[in-house]
Amino acid sequence: MSGPEENVEPAQLAPAKKAELDRAFEDFYRAHLRDVYSYAYYRVGNHHDAEDLTEQAFLQAYRHFDRARRESDGRPLRPWLIRIAHNLASNYYRDRSRRPQTPLDSADPIATRHDTEDLVAGREELRQVMANLEHLSDDRREALIMRFALGMDNREIARALGRSDGATKVLIHRAIKQLQEEMEGPEDG
Amino acid sequence: MAEPGETTWDVEALLSDALRPIDPPERLFGRIEGTFTALSAAAATELSDWAEELSESEMRALREPRNWVRPVVAVGVGGVATGALVLFELRRRGRHEANGLKGLAAGVRDRF
Repeated sequence: MSGPEENVEPAQLAPAKKAELDRAFEDFYRAHLRDVYSYAYYRVGNHHDAEDLTEQAFLQAYRHFDRARRESDGRPLRPWLIRIAHNLASNYYRDRSRRPQTPLDSADPIATRHDTEDLVAGREELRQVMANLEHLSDDRREALIMRFALGMDNREIARALGRSDGATKVLIHRAIKQLQEEMEGPEDG
Repeated sequence: MAEPGETTWDVEALLSDALRPIDPPERLFGRIEGTFTALSAAAATELSDWAEELSESEMRALREPRNWVRPVVAVGVGGVATGALVLFELRRRGRHEANGLKGLAAGVRDRF
């Protein structure tokens, strides 16, 4: 049998094992589709690319799902999945040399179908906090997305970002502090 | 566990409000299921094509259980398509026309 360190492509598994893997992955996919999509959307800033990124994340997750389960020791796999999406999003920026070009609360017609109207419904504070979020460094912004959009705790975020729990706690604290200062300071452009 | 930013609850409240989880569009469910189904179809097609190309001697060799490891490995190294998922196949079967599925499978394979 394969050891915990080696990845076995799903097609190489015995049929019964593969069927069990597929059932488990289907549950996993359904449980976390919204998490991955939310993360992707807040990273790339538009629904089209968020859909691409979400699909790629699950394709990649499936290929390594068996190994991830073996190595998880019963721990939740959500941080591992979000880490995949995180790496894909990083590649997205690197490959295309771009960052989100428009604010997330822009007049994206699809956004209105996802109950995000409140973002633009006269809530200037929300508009401002989203704008200031873009001023944060990537790691700070990503940690806040994981915390607030996905509801991940420090330990999960630490695993997703490949940091220690302590470093993650500091990262989030500093991110919120910076946002606080930006909110209290003069609004810029 | 002490949460960070205890004195900045207002920003945290704003973040909770601003960074709400976003429900994926309904079409994304169908798209991802379609992708996995296409990968399964591509894997099945590759296996079928591969079997049709075998000569009689190769077929005889295949019937020998001691040789079974080779095709299994060959399938395994065939790439993503052969690592395909059968997750949604039964549910999705019949929803796609053959040409559409073949095109989708080709598109998926092209991406890898």
